[in-house]
Amino acid sequence: MSHTKSLPKPTALDRLKARFFNTTLNSVVTLVLGAITLWILYNLANWALVHAVWGVDQGDACRANRDGACWSIISTRWRIVFFGLYPFEEQWRSGLACAIMVVVAVLSCIPWFWSARRLPFLWVAGFAAFYILMRGGMFGLTEVVERNWGGLALTVFIFSAVCLIGMPLAICFALLRQSSLPWVARTVGLIIDTVRSLPLLAIMFTFAIVLPFALPSWAIGESLYRVIIGYSLFFAAYQAEIIRGGMQSLPTGQEEAAKALGLGYWHRIGYIILPQAFRNALPPTINQFVITFKETTLVTIIGFFDVMTSGRTASGTAEWSFATLEMYVFLALLFFVFVFSLSRYGAYLERRLGVGTR
Amino acid sequence: MKPMAKILLASTILTGLSAVGAQAEVAANSRLKTVQDRGTLLCTGHNGSFLGFAEVDDKGVWKGLDVELCKALATGLFGTYEGHLEIVPVSWAQRWPALQSGDVDVIIKASGWTQSRDTELNLTYSMPYFIGAFQVMSHASLGAEKVADLDGGTICVNAGTSVERSISNYADANGLDIEILTYENGDEIRNSYFEGRCDGWVEWAPALATGRVDAPDGADAHVILPEVIELEAEGIIVPEGDADWLDVQNWMLSSLWFAELNGITSANVDEMKANPESPQIATFLGATPGYGTRLGLSDDWAYNMIKHVGNMDEIYSRSMGDTSPYKLARGVNSLYTNGGVFYPLQID
Repeated sequence: MSHTKSLPKPTALDRLKARFFNTTLNSVVTLVLGAITLWILYNLANWALVHAVWGVDQGDACRANRDGACWSIISTRWRIVFFGLYPFEEQWRSGLACAIMVVVAVLSCIPWFWSARRLPFLWVAGFAAFYILMRGGMFGLTEVVERNWGGLALTVFIFSAVCLIGMPLAICFALLRQSSLPWVARTVGLIIDTVRSLPLLAIMFTFAIVLPFALPSWAIGESLYRVIIGYSLFFAAYQAEIIRGGMQSLPTGQEEAAKALGLGYWHRIGYIILPQAFRNALPPTINQFVITFKETTLVTIIGFFDVMTSGRTASGTAEWSFATLEMYVFLALLFFVFVFSLSRYGAYLERRLGVGTR
Repeated sequence: MKPMAKILLASTILTGLSAVGAQAEVAANSRLKTVQDRGTLLCTGHNGSFLGFAEVDDKGVWKGLDVELCKALATGLFGTYEGHLEIVPVSWAQRWPALQSGDVDVIIKASGWTQSRDTELNLTYSMPYFIGAFQVMSHASLGAEKVADLDGGTICVNAGTSVERSISNYADANGLDIEILTYENGDEIRNSYFEGRCDGWVEWAPALATGRVDAPDGADAHVILPEVIELEAEGIIVPEGDADWLDVQNWMLSSLWFAELNGITSANVDEMKANPESPQIATFLGATPGYGTRLGLSDDWAYNMIKHVGNMDEIYSRSMGDTSPYKLARGVNSLYTNGGVFYPLQID
């Protein structure tokens, strides 16, 4: 340790020099790429900030000024993006419901909530609040049927519902597939492989549109919930295989040792197998969540106004149809915020659980 | 169904014989009955916006030609559409099953009347309410007023469509020397046209009208020529075998044209009702009974439609015509008296 002290601490300039300008070739590459980056950033800033039009109802100003972004479409029609077709006067409910869902999601990322009692309570309470606010029809709130839900609130609802139904289902599937009874294991294997071999779009379409013809009328329900169930099944089939992968990466000796100690099935699964399986399967699980969030946009095919459809609707009118690019940039930002937070949270979990280090 | 139809037929004949405006029997299983009992009409919207036909305003309220017809229908049924109309967002692929499963009561969704749809899908079309004409859009700077003025020029068209054949037939039949360029991709054809590679662009007229709003050189720099190269007739769709419900659709459309032909607008309808110009108009507006009860509706149903929604000209004008941003000339969609193909049915 003492010899490092004798060296002078490298300054920022030294480090810059050592990393980017240590040879002539590297200096040239740095300068060229730096110039290109600056040029892109300059143009982007010019478009998105300097020449942009921000105010509400500035469509005509936007048309006259084509060098800058027209953020006026967002400031004028953001309500459609966030709330879809939800009745205008009631949109505060949708906003509040959405905020509750986000708060619940953030809270459940805090380790204090990670207990078998707190986490389910948090989510059940969160969902109940969300549903009462969105659906109304009680506590003096006017009723808003599911088909009028929309925008970001709907996307968040579908995503969280699918994950919450799909995750326990996935654990069931994974455990059943590992069953020592061959016919159970094979049947579940067949179900998983069948669901996995069907496109998500086909599953959604079947659950939303074909199923009502096959079900008795009392079992039909709202198409939103049918779609969520179908999507959860799809999610569970994939997630079950991810969990199975995590389980199979454990040495069999662990389960045998637990058996030798006299632990019952549920104790072995609950204390030995699943915690480790989840730890091993964390990166692909986060991946699955991210994919699930992005694929909620497919519900547009069965007439739901998810955030993507709502965005396209917001720019789909004569006054604003020139500003589709701005709308897509805004939608991309929204998705980025959600997906990036998900991946950052995944990375935090990985560090905390020491994935890949133990 | 059969015995029911016979009873209906018998009652229709009896009504005719006795020459009394007795209330028509509406079949108990008719969608009309279901809708009236429910108190709400479930009508098709779009999953997103379909410019000119179904769009959403800043407050998330639907507008557009198809939506206006939904409003007219709901108004005819209930006296007002406020609180009695629900626009259900439905994708293109979803519309037929949605009608069969009862998610919507009627499809008003720019849907062309084709033989396979009519015969194989268990649907019935009302009389068409909109002619989806394929027309040619041209640069205003070329000064063309009809397709023949593009003689010697280039017209762009989507490859593999029936329009591709129609435009070349049109050119041959009229002895025009027009080069026809085909494109596989919608964006490509759009860009080629706006860059001036094509002198004309053949497309569904509403799509041309909505497309030119975003033209880089402004909407005024493009004209849509009046000739119809090919057409598709869009109708209202109800389940097959529901004659009562179909009657309501046809008479709703007829009423909108009848009002237009007789100069009845949302502005002067009250005056017209007070001093009807003819016995027909008196019946139409419910000043004398009969017009609604025969359909199982109230006698002032047409009055309500015109009062709250307007006649067909008003509807067209604010959705796609002069007072809308699209400014698509009504052309073939006008009444027969203005060179179009539409007409009201006789009221007796």
